This record gives sequence, structure tokens and C-alpha cells, in this order.
Amino acid sequence: MDKSFAVRRRRDLLIAAVLAVLAGLAPLFVKDVYVQNILILTLMYAALSQSWNILSGYCGQISLGHALYFGIGAYTTELLFTKFGVLPWFGMLGGGVLAAIIAMALGYPFFRLRGHYFVIATIVIAEIGLLLFQNWDWAGAALGITIPVRGDSWLKFQFMRSKLPYFYFALALCCLAWFVTWWLEDSKWGFWWRAVKDNPDAAESLGVVVFNSKMGAAAVSAFLVAIGGAFYAQYLAYIDPESVMGFQFSLLMALPAVLGGIGTLWGPVLGAAILIPMTELTRSYIGGSGRGVDLIVYGALIVLISLALPQGLVSLFSRAKAKNHVKGATR
Amino acid sequence: MTAQAIIQSLASGLLMGLLYGLIAVGLALIFGLMDVVNFAHGEFLMIAMYATFFLFAFFAIDPLLSAPLVAAALFVFGAVVYLLIVRFAMRAKANAGMVQIFSTFGLAIVMRGLAQFFFTPDYRSIPQSWLGGKTVSVAGIFLPEPQLIGALVSIAAFAGLYFFINRTDFGRALEATREDPGAVALVGIDKNRVFALGWGLGAALVGLAGAIMAVFFYIYPDVGASFALIAYVTVALGGFGSVFGAFAGGIIVGLVEAVTALVLPPSLKSVGIYAVYLLVVFIRPRGLFGSM
Amino acid sequence: MGSDCRFFRLYRINQSFHSITRNLVTGDFAMTITRRDVLLGATATAALVPFAARAQTSEVVIGVIYPFSGGSAQQGVDAQKAYETALEVINKDADFDLPLAKGEGLPGLGGAKVRLVFADHQADPQKGRAEAERLITQEKVCAIIGTYQSAVAVTVSQICERYQVPFVSADNSSPSLHRRGLKYYFRAAPHDEMYSAAMFDFFDAMKKKGTKIETLSLFHEDTIFGTDSGNAQAKIAGERGYKIVSDIKYRANSPSLSAEVQQLKTANADVLMPSSYTTDGILLVKTMAELGYKPNAIVAQDAGFSEKALYDAVGDKLEGVISRGTFSLDLAQKRPMVGKINEMFKAKSGKDFNDLTSRQFMGLIILADAINRAKSTDGEKIRDALAATDIPGEQTIMPWKRVKFDEMGQNNDADPVLLQYVGGKFVTVFPPQAAIAEAIWPMK
Repeated sequence: MDKSFAVRRRRDLLIAAVLAVLAGLAPLFVKDVYVQNILILTLMYAALSQSWNILSGYCGQISLGHALYFGIGAYTTELLFTKFGVLPWFGMLGGGVLAAIIAMALGYPFFRLRGHYFVIATIVIAEIGLLLFQNWDWAGAALGITIPVRGDSWLKFQFMRSKLPYFYFALALCCLAWFVTWWLEDSKWGFWWRAVKDNPDAAESLGVVVFNSKMGAAAVSAFLVAIGGAFYAQYLAYIDPESVMGFQFSLLMALPAVLGGIGTLWGPVLGAAILIPMTELTRSYIGGSGRGVDLIVYGALIVLISLALPQGLVSLFSRAKAKNHVKGATR
Repeated sequence: MTAQAIIQSLASGLLMGLLYGLIAVGLALIFGLMDVVNFAHGEFLMIAMYATFFLFAFFAIDPLLSAPLVAAALFVFGAVVYLLIVRFAMRAKANAGMVQIFSTFGLAIVMRGLAQFFFTPDYRSIPQSWLGGKTVSVAGIFLPEPQLIGALVSIAAFAGLYFFINRTDFGRALEATREDPGAVALVGIDKNRVFALGWGLGAALVGLAGAIMAVFFYIYPDVGASFALIAYVTVALGGFGSVFGAFAGGIIVGLVEAVTALVLPPSLKSVGIYAVYLLVVFIRPRGLFGSM
Repeated sequence: MGSDCRFFRLYRINQSFHSITRNLVTGDFAMTITRRDVLLGATATAALVPFAARAQTSEVVIGVIYPFSGGSAQQGVDAQKAYETALEVINKDADFDLPLAKGEGLPGLGGAKVRLVFADHQADPQKGRAEAERLITQEKVCAIIGTYQSAVAVTVSQICERYQVPFVSADNSSPSLHRRGLKYYFRAAPHDEMYSAAMFDFFDAMKKKGTKIETLSLFHEDTIFGTDSGNAQAKIAGERGYKIVSDIKYRANSPSLSAEVQQLKTANADVLMPSSYTTDGILLVKTMAELGYKPNAIVAQDAGFSEKALYDAVGDKLEGVISRGTFSLDLAQKRPMVGKINEMFKAKSGKDFNDLTSRQFMGLIILADAINRAKSTDGEKIRDALAATDIPGEQTIMPWKRVKFDEMGQNNDADPVLLQYVGGKFVTVFPPQAAIAEAIWPMK
């Protein structure tokens, strides 16, 4: 058992490295900026979903309020940059740390809540954040913040036309989120989480340590999501409350993990790779009609996938593998 | 701010709160029965409002008369949604909670798309009806008739539901299924039938709310979104699964909203509702009347 | 990923195929097609190559970015009809005194036809930006027009600037848009400060005639439109000595506006000035009636108050409401073509032109006129032609003095009008040179 676990982990790391290198080569073949944009969004949502998965998948604390941390990352970076001239790189880290602190402050009362009470509390807290920013005149209120783009600069992390720097940043963030998840799986925390999942009563006896590990998960998750928010703000060069803190971000972080396989190492990446291009392409090529057909297609796919594959798309792979095992055994 | 203005705000808040309760109770009922949260609840309301609108536009049936028809139509719709989607979501062996959330959430998107496809995104409303625009004035306090009737319907619906659950065979079957689905099967009650009827009943209640809302609210494919979050908060505040909790939750949400708008800028009035929700669940993690 | 790419490619082939068949129908397809090809359904490969070569001269492609799904899909769908009306005027021979109406297509480009590509931004700045980039790089549009939501106009215009493709902001009214110093941004219609200034000019004029206007209530929603409008109104009110007795910012699409209306009623200002979209406008008027609040006068910042849906719902309670606008059907009395073009639009949409759809129509005419004068689909040349635009007001369907852009790309000669809703239709009451009736004050 132990041995096969270690083997699997080494194999996962190898696959990830190969995929990362392949992804890194993609811009050599994809010159179309529209497709590049889809790739960047896919990587970004894969990273966000991977981060969300740490708290909601592995710890089982389903959050539909991660848009709050996304928005905090975006706003911290851009307020520091436009008001005080602080470079986005520092703002990004600052936003991440701030989000982690807020996540822990919220985690303290929130982790006492169970099931839907917890889910609704997370929705509500993100909604409060949205309303406060919407009414905060110093932060631009509804008018938002326009980031002046004055040319290509790594220092200010802004580029006029080229998407490659953004692409590689998103790829790096995605790899980082994946690696953190991979590392956590084999840590003490990961062990406790699995124990709690397999046997809820174990949660009682482990009590304090589990609580602390959840706080840690919330902080890591919020930190990575805030980095994603800062990236998105730099990429878009314009933010307003609805477009960085709206409920749709909370959903778009959860959906890839759910479709791909919640609480699994590969689920979020797989889910994002399918969901995000699908969202973009249905809108671009059938959304212009004004008849809502894109919504029908998109919604129906969510219903079908969640019903047909409750364990997500990764279960297709593990099922195939399980069959192979059986075959091997009988031979 | 005069005393009269404050009383007026509280009265409006109370009437709106009773309506919130009526919108939310279907959600509470379904959750109480089978631990499922319907994330398409706002879209159920939207469909009910459209049904009321079209009955008015094509057959000139006043919303007050069409309310039972709409409720009946929604009953069928709710049962069908259970049989076609939720039934399968309940079978999920893993991640049951997630499957339920996202299958109903996907349904919500499909319903919005279908509404846009068939009804166009135009904003509709019922310009003339028996109640529309009429208002009762008591000592300078204005009580709009649609909301007043809505409040009465809400109280009647809650009373009826209470009677139904506690005094009828089907109600008892509902209760029994909720407590122990396995044992119920042994007594020969078809679990699926009870659940389908529960979904039908929950949808019928939101249908009733939709018919009344259609009198004074605008109707368009995304209208459900305005009410969905309030309905979830109402139910959670009162305690998931408690029908009485939804009633109390609705009233509290309505009043808190009115009071917040008096002390904070009105654009922040939902913050009051959300803050009260957080406060309540921090003290009582199962809501006000939720079973532990 | 693989299957998505395939889906994507299939779609594009399908699309080019559609444009071929479309051209077959209009007879614009000058290639000789053998009967066998036709029988085979004009096999894509055979037809594509010469078609692509022709496309550059026979067709000018313009991107149109609007919300086609979500809460404001209705505006997108209406806009689509307005642009199709403008397209008909441009591409077909029409006897109007408008640029490009006479003759078919763009004479400056050898009679090339204009084709529109519609894209959906779902009111999301990120999606608007992605669509703008797709239209520029894949559909090869030579200019973009849009967007209804101001927040989306911010990102779309940024992308246009980077690709040096002109962006015509047909119906965005946020004043901050043109102040960003973009070279490729153009707006022919007024912005909110111009609109608000017109309202206060009107108040000043009414005061001179002895009407009591001292106190104002502002009522605006919390997105970019309401915030900008509220700020502009508060600023001008302060400058001109009007007292704001209540300044209510409310959450867009609130389930209830009772508390807000209660505060308006308590303040009871001489004029109520709402900046609301259709949904909130309907709920506002209904709630006012229910709570027994009857203001002396309502002077609205357009948006919902120029929409047919709002008057269908609560028109009976709005006799005498005044809304700002850039368009008035009254103009048809002086300029018969306004009425005829309105009929064309009505045949498509079932609605009269309103403040938004008229701006959209005019925006495309102005843009096409510039492309025609540029005699090119090159972004920079079109940009220069737009900057040199000088169309007299009589050659528009608007009550404007003329169309001429300042160095920021804003047309400062687009005079707003104030319209009063009387007897089921709008009557122009201000400014005096456009007015056909005196304002009824107080409203009924």
C-alpha cells in the first residue's frame, strides 16, 4: 500500500512535469491571440480551482465565496499601484498575505458551521465584500480602477499586445498550485484530512489539530487565489467590483474541480481544460444570436456531467485503470 | 425621520418579509424532506411569474385567479424535475452534496436560457390587474394591496402547510420518509413518489409566490437571481428543514432590510441581512429553528 | 482539448461556408461556378480560395459587441435591430439625406458592402475584451462599435487602442471614457455631464419663468452608470445653487425599493431625478404609487425611462415625466426621413427608435462614412477619417448641431434634448430651438 502510494506520487510528478513542458511549448504552435487568451484563462482557472480544491476538496469545506480573495488580490495590487506607485509584484504578495489573514480570521468562526450553513456563509461574506467595494469611493466604487498601460515592462508586469508573458505567468501559477496540492497530499495535514473524510468520528478525537490544519488550508487556498486575482487585474488592465468579486468567480473556481473530480490531484486541471474552452467557444460562436442557446448548451452539459460522473472526469481514468488491473490479475 | 416614516418602513418590511417567507418555504420543505438544496429555486419563481404573465396576456386571467393554476402547473413541473434530474442526483454514491448543488445549478442556467429563447429577453409586467397599484392607507401608513394580499396568502399557506404536515396521511408519510427512508420502504411507501410529491409541493408554493409577485414586479429571464440568495439566507437563518423557520426567517429578513436602509445607505441594505445571518449562525450553528 | 479544437475548426469552416452561400444569394459572388460544383454543394475547398481574395475589396467587416445573454440581453437584441437598419440604409439604395444612404455600399471602396459580426460580451469586461480581440484578429474587422455597458467599453477600447482599430462608443454615456486620452476612441453622442448640464439649464430656464425649483432628490443605481450620473448631478447642483435633500444610491435589481421610496417621500423635493435601468425604473414607479408618493416633477437620466417596456408597464403613472435624450421622433416633422427610418426600424423590432437605438443607428452611419472617406480598411486611415468627420446636424436623425470630434474623440456639438411623456408619447420641451411644446409643470 505504502509503496504503491509512493510510486503513484512519483508518477504524478513525472506526468505533471511532462505536461508543464508541453504546455510551455504550446505558444510555438498557437499564434492566434484569441486561442492564446483561452489558454491563459484555462491555466488561470485551473490554478484557481486547484487552490479552491485544497480547502473545499481535501478539507471538505465547500466555499462558494472565494471571489472575495480573488477580489482582494486584484484590488490590493491595483490600489497600491495606482495610488502609491508600488510595483504589482509587491502588491501581488501583499494581496496574497492579506487574503490569507482574512481567510484565517473568517475560518475561526466559520469552521464551526456545517454543510449548507457554511456554504451560505461563504456566499454571504463575499457578497458583503462586493457591496463594500461597490460603495467605497476611494477605491473607485462602481467606476473601478483603470490601470495605465504604457508599454511593455516586466517590472510593471504589463504588455501591450504580447500574451506570452501572461501565458507563462499563468502556467507558473498553475504549476505552483498543483505542486502545493501534491506536496500537501503526503503531508501530515493531508493524512488528517483523509482520516477525517474516511471516518467523521475521527474528527472529534483529532479535534484541535484538524482545526489548525483547516486554518492552514484556508490560508494557503486564499493566498493562491489572491495571486490569481492580482494576475487577472494586470492582465485585464481594468477592474471593477462586479468583474473581480462577483459570484460568478466563486462558481468558476468550483466548477472545474467539481467536473474534473473534487478532492483529487488532477480534477481541477482536467475540469478547467474542458470547461473554460467550452464556455468561451459557446459564447463566441453561438452567443451572438441573442437567443440564449449558449446558456442552454452550457447548463445542460453541467447537469449531464455532474449526474453521469459524480466523481468527476478523473473517474474515467481510474475506472479504466481498475479494469486493466483486473485483467492483469486474471491473466 | 418621523415616527410615521419609521412605522411605514417597518410595515413595508413586514409585508415584504412575509413574501420572502413564502418564496423560501418551498426550499425549506424540500431540504427538510431529503437534505437537498435546490439551486434553481429562483428560476422556479421566474417560471411561475412568466406563467402568470402569459395567462394574463393571452386569456386575461387576473393573477389572483390564476394563482391556483400557476401553483398546480408548478406542482407538475417540480415533480418532473425531481423525476428527471434530482432522482439521479440522489443516487450519486460519491460527492452527493456537490452533485446536487451543481445539477440543480446547471438546471438553473438551462432554464434561463430556455426562457430567453422562448420568451425573449424583453422585460414584461402586468400593467392592469385587480390589485395592481391599489393601496390601503391607515393613518398615513400605506399598505399596498398586492403585498397585503401576498402577506395573507403567505400566512394562509404556512397555516395550511402546518396542518398538512401534521394532520394528513401524506404529511405523515412525508415526515416518516424524512426520518427514515429505509424503514418507510418496508411499510410499502414508495420513496420516490413521496419525494416527487414533496418537490411538487415545494414548487407549488413558490408558484403561489410567483403569481403574487407578478402583480407588482417586473418579469425577465434573470429575475430569479434577485431573489435566490435572499431565499437561501431566509431558509438558513430560520434553520434548514424547518417550515416555521422559513416563516420566521422571512419576517426577520424583511424587517432587517427595512431597518438597515434607514441607518445605512440603501445600496448597503443587504449587508444588514447578511450580517444578521452570520451573527445568528455563529451563535446557533443550525439557524434559529433548525434541528440539531 | 483535442475535441474542442476540432469543434472550433468545424465551426469556422461552417461559417465561411455560410458567407459563401449568403453571397450566392445576393449575387455578389462573381466566380464562375460549374454545375458540378453547385451540385456538390460548392465544395468548401474549391470556393474558398478565390473568395478570400475577393473578400478584401467587396466587403467591409465591422464588429458589434453587445450583451446578448444575461440581464441586459434585451438591449443587445434591440441594438442588433438598430444596426441592421443602419446596414440596410448603407448597403441598399435609399433616398435619405444621410451619409451613404444613396447608392449601394461604400463608393469610396468601389461599392463594397458592409458586413456586421455580432459578439456577446455578457456584460463582463473580460469577455468584451476577448471578443474584441477575436473580432480583430480572426474576423479581421476594421472597426468595432458597442457596447451598452460602460465597464465593457473600458476594456474593449483598450484592446482597440493596442491594435490600432477605431472604436466607436455608440451608446456609452460615462464621461470618464473619453478622458483616458485614447487615440482610437470616438463618441458622437453626449455623455452624462452634458446630459446633466442640459437638465440644469432647463431648471434655470424654468426658474426664470417663476417655477419653484430649489430642492432635488437624486436616486441612482450603484453600477458605473448610476454612480457617474449621480456624481455629475451632485456636482452641477452644487455649482448652480440647488439643494440636494436626498441622495439615494440603491443596489441595482433590488427585490424591493420600499425603504428607498419612503426616504424620497420624506424628503419630498421639488424634482426627483432618477438614474435607473428598466427593471428598477418599473419597480420605482410602482412602489411610489403604492406608497402614495407623487413628486412635483420627475426628470430622469434616460436609460429605463426611455424604454418601451417601462411605459408599457407603468406609463399610466408617468404622465408628464421628463427624460433626457438625444433623440426625438418630433424631429420627423422637420425632417421626414427620421419618420421613414423609424418605420424601417419598427418593421424589424416592433418598437420606435429610442434614445439608445437611435444612437446605435447613427453611430454605425458615422463610422461607415469615415471608412468610405478613408477609402481603406486600414485602422489608422479610418481613425484619421473619423477625426476629420464633419457632418452637419441636418444629415443625421438626431437634433444635434453637427458631428465633429474633439481631440479626445468626443463630439461636443451633440445637444441633448429633454422629452416629456404626454398622452402616450414623447414631446420635446427643451432646448427652445428643438422644443415643440412648453413643459407641463408640475406633472399630473
